[in-house]
Amino acid sequence: MSGIRKSKAAVLWGLNQEWKIEEIEIHPPKTGEVLVHWKAAGLCHSDEHLVTGDMVPPEEVWPLMGIESFFPIIGGHEGAGVVVEVGPGVTSVAVGDHVSASFVPSCGRCRYCSTGRQNLCDNGAKTFVGGMITDDTHRHFVNGKPITLMAKVGTFSEYACVSEQSIIKVEKDIPLECVALVSCGVATGWGSAANRAGTQPGDTVVVVGIGGIGINAVQGARMAGAKRIIAIDPVEFKREKAMEFGATHTFPSMADAMLSVMEMTYGQMADRVIMTPGVLHGEMMGEAMNLAGKGSTVVVTAISPMTSETANINLFNLAMWNKEIKGTIFGSLNPRADIPALLDMYRAGQLKLDELISKTYTLDEINEGYEAMRVGTNIRGVILK
Amino acid sequence: MKSSAAILWETNQPWSVEEFELDDPQSGEVLVEMKASGMCHSDEHLVTGDLPFALPIIGGHEGAGIVRKVGEGVSWLTPGDHVVFGFIPSCGRCRSCSTGHQNLCDLGALMGGGRQITDGGARHHARGQDLGLMCLLGTFAKHTVVNEASCIKIDEDLPLDKVCLLGCGVVTGWGSAVYAAETRPGDTVVVVGVGGIGANAIQGAKLAGAKRIVAIDPVEFKREKAMEFGATHTATSMTEAVALLQDITWGTMANKVIMTMGVGQGSVMHEAMALAAKRGRVVVTNIHPALEMGASMNMLDITLMEKQVVGSLFGSGNPRADIPKLAGLYREGQLDLDGLVTRTYPLEGVNEGYEAMRKGENIRGVLVY
Repeated sequence: MSGIRKSKAAVLWGLNQEWKIEEIEIHPPKTGEVLVHWKAAGLCHSDEHLVTGDMVPPEEVWPLMGIESFFPIIGGHEGAGVVVEVGPGVTSVAVGDHVSASFVPSCGRCRYCSTGRQNLCDNGAKTFVGGMITDDTHRHFVNGKPITLMAKVGTFSEYACVSEQSIIKVEKDIPLECVALVSCGVATGWGSAANRAGTQPGDTVVVVGIGGIGINAVQGARMAGAKRIIAIDPVEFKREKAMEFGATHTFPSMADAMLSVMEMTYGQMADRVIMTPGVLHGEMMGEAMNLAGKGSTVVVTAISPMTSETANINLFNLAMWNKEIKGTIFGSLNPRADIPALLDMYRAGQLKLDELISKTYTLDEINEGYEAMRVGTNIRGVILK
Repeated sequence: MKSSAAILWETNQPWSVEEFELDDPQSGEVLVEMKASGMCHSDEHLVTGDLPFALPIIGGHEGAGIVRKVGEGVSWLTPGDHVVFGFIPSCGRCRSCSTGHQNLCDLGALMGGGRQITDGGARHHARGQDLGLMCLLGTFAKHTVVNEASCIKIDEDLPLDKVCLLGCGVVTGWGSAVYAAETRPGDTVVVVGVGGIGANAIQGAKLAGAKRIVAIDPVEFKREKAMEFGATHTATSMTEAVALLQDITWGTMANKVIMTMGVGQGSVMHEAMALAAKRGRVVVTNIHPALEMGASMNMLDITLMEKQVVGSLFGSGNPRADIPKLAGLYREGQLDLDGLVTRTYPLEGVNEGYEAMRKGENIRGVLVY
């Protein structure tokens, strides 16, 4: 069974290029590693951030990271599949098991994993560059040269060798495309509202940006009992989708929402504001802070350009109105507890997943899928393999 | 002035509806023309003696009405204002009020005496005697004089015969699930006893995103009502619920168990604890007999499974924040008050209403004046 396996994968060779479908070679899993057949992968905006460079460290930093180049890289960090081979010492999954990818690994042993903050597992530091989480050596090669994997899962490949820390066993009755969505976008958006923001029954919640993350922040706020959910997006199709997922009001911009939020809250403004635009620029924060009331929480979920250093926040108001700004990765959830928990909410009919998928694509159609995301015709595209 | 009220002269006697003499409001007090009052189980506890308050007493603590006259120094209420009474006063100044626990306002200590907060005197009199007021309110009366600390002003578009329920039962049940239990989206919640409190615990758990809500009551009508309010499963007893919970939670049991029986019983607490998961929280909302000194709990289970037992008064809510907040949820269609009211009665129907409660025919009866 063991041997070098060939696989098709979507590879990014440099900034602002298209994804190229390449044939790669995968070496068999070593200790603590698992070979997964990725059956479904979500087209998440974070992979687009690799293309645009928002999430790519500047070239002058590469030597400090111990790498010659950030590229080539196999994309995809939102996915689900079936285990086809396990290396020595793997105990949590077996061949044939269905698994969810987890773009943040969870070792279960570091300080963060040990204190209910698996989303901040120390091994997250290893997900950007280099070889395997397990021993830093490579299992994936293109044209004979090592290639790294987005988030060390590389779900835009048919097959990938991943650490046991990056996959979570799931029940087989849930469709794998639904598992794929929960592995990143759903958990991140839902958790931003229901967990990190601390949404309480009766709250007024504003969600800024209705993509794959924001739409799930709307779901999370609805499930946490928000009285009003104001969804903001310039694209009409997305505002319509937001209403289907539980928004009570929509506006094309934060400026358009300002007076109405003031009116509907009797001047109190929102209890929670959740920032989920495609790219978050620092100058958007001023309006976000103005939508937030006394003692409120503003959650920053979206990716900002890695090297941007400023945001227009009035710190006088932040102090005098006791506001707080909180960052979140993975909705501040614990992948091993919350991916299965969210899937059970789907099973119970509480969480919408099927409705998130705007369109499915083959791996060869990946660039078409991302073009649809850019023009705003997709909430979420999914690659099926 | 003269008005009429339902007065309890002796325990285990019916309410006597009769005329009484009402004095003018003094400094810090308000004369309110009552429009509606819920018939809560706690007033029945006066009749049975479980609540040993001084008699004679005008019953009722779940009421709403219109301010007709204000005493000196009352600056924030004027005649014509609509008010719901908080069954616990909130002074806004003591340590509890100052730290977000208005339900534990120090003035609550005066509730058993039934006399005015301001000077310890009585404004209500009948048959030549001073009358006490249930919870310092006496809402089983067409008029009453209460301290401003008991009044919560509400918008005039809200129907008083519905929002009167916010003064006690609704916030108590809803808050038991939302605040005391801290129900989170995806939780499994058990509500034991589906009366006026339990029905609202179900509503609270649902709004807070519970995945499964198991309602337990021996009466079929109440189990049916529970499903209408958002329960996903029902059982007739805690014993029967054990296997159900094991099944639907894959053996992990409930995250929250909320006790809202007509009268709590220490001897059944082990059954409630058995329904709770690791780190599960059991909320004790219902009234236990005041002199009961024991409860059956395996303390090793509490330690090793890190279970929690939490008491809750007024759903651990703040009357001045939560009565308007829940009124807002009612207005937006997210809280059902209409469905809670099984029947309405005139003041003279008070004994008939309590008889229906005893027989399990009412979720909530409401007196409408």
